[in-house]
Amino acid sequence: MKDILDKVKHNDGMTVPEGYFEDFASRMIASLPQQEWETAPTGVMPKSFWDKVRPYIYLAAMFMGVWCMMKMFDLMRPQSAGLSIDNNPVITAAIDNDYFMSDYLINEGNLDDYQLMDDLYETGFTPVHYSDNDETDFPMAEI
Amino acid sequence: MADEKQLDDKDLVARLRDPATCREAFGDLIRLYSEPLYRQIRRMVQSHDDANDLLQNSFMKAWQNIQNFRGDAKLSTWLYKIASNEAITHLDKERRRGGVSLDDEEARLADLIASDTNIDGDELAQKLREAVATLPEKQRLVFNMRYYDEMKYEQMSEILGTSVGALKASYHLAVKKIESFFEDLD
Repeated sequence: MKDILDKVKHNDGMTVPEGYFEDFASRMIASLPQQEWETAPTGVMPKSFWDKVRPYIYLAAMFMGVWCMMKMFDLMRPQSAGLSIDNNPVITAAIDNDYFMSDYLINEGNLDDYQLMDDLYETGFTPVHYSDNDETDFPMAEI
Repeated sequence: MADEKQLDDKDLVARLRDPATCREAFGDLIRLYSEPLYRQIRRMVQSHDDANDLLQNSFMKAWQNIQNFRGDAKLSTWLYKIASNEAITHLDKERRRGGVSLDDEEARLADLIASDTNIDGDELAQKLREAVATLPEKQRLVFNMRYYDEMKYEQMSEILGTSVGALKASYHLAVKKIESFFEDLD
């Protein structure tokens, strides 16, 4: 058996018509259909100015957004420094002004005499000289 | 000519991947592989006309899928796989169309060999073709690749998806069957 395989010398005994492979290659190449990817653009489009700066603009906008968000959360805190009376010069000046405060409490604070007297009683004030027949004015200096 | 360009797989694959050079590279691939693929197909189907049609189909499928070829396997392995599948699918179709059994298939192939006019006149080679035609499809494929193409078992394993050990056993069995064929002739 080994002799037979040796004698045949890997020859399959098959032939083809003359020039078959050359003709086949030509025919085959000519019949290859156009593929979609063959015509796809491969060159890189030149970048416009906007294309170049866009990533940086987006990055800056993102940081601004984050900063605004953090500022907003900070302002929403009850002990926020942004809303503190100490940091507000207008409110601080008004509190330090005695005339403004007494005027504000009496005239703008909707305090009537009875409420005022109740507050005074609660803090221990006793109107000694006061009676219904007493013509003396209310001793404002003791308040 | 392909030989003059000293083509190798690596260079060819690089050119096939570039859309600008792909068509030209595929032309080189056809020139380089049409003969070995034709012989592989024809040894399976025996008829020159069928082999010609199947070779065209094989290259057409390769062309349609060339962008999916990742280069993990050798180009030749990928092409042999396509061609083998084409040949086996054709034989299955022929069997189904004629409603023939495997024994009838053997007789049909023997007739094709006997009526083949594209032969070199080597009687012993023709007898060996007849003997190989009696083998089961897969065994025939293994014998053809190993004996005629002198392909390494590792490459055969990649093409056929079978272990090297199983391929060696299959080839050994094929040789035994061919031996029996020749003994019966005496």
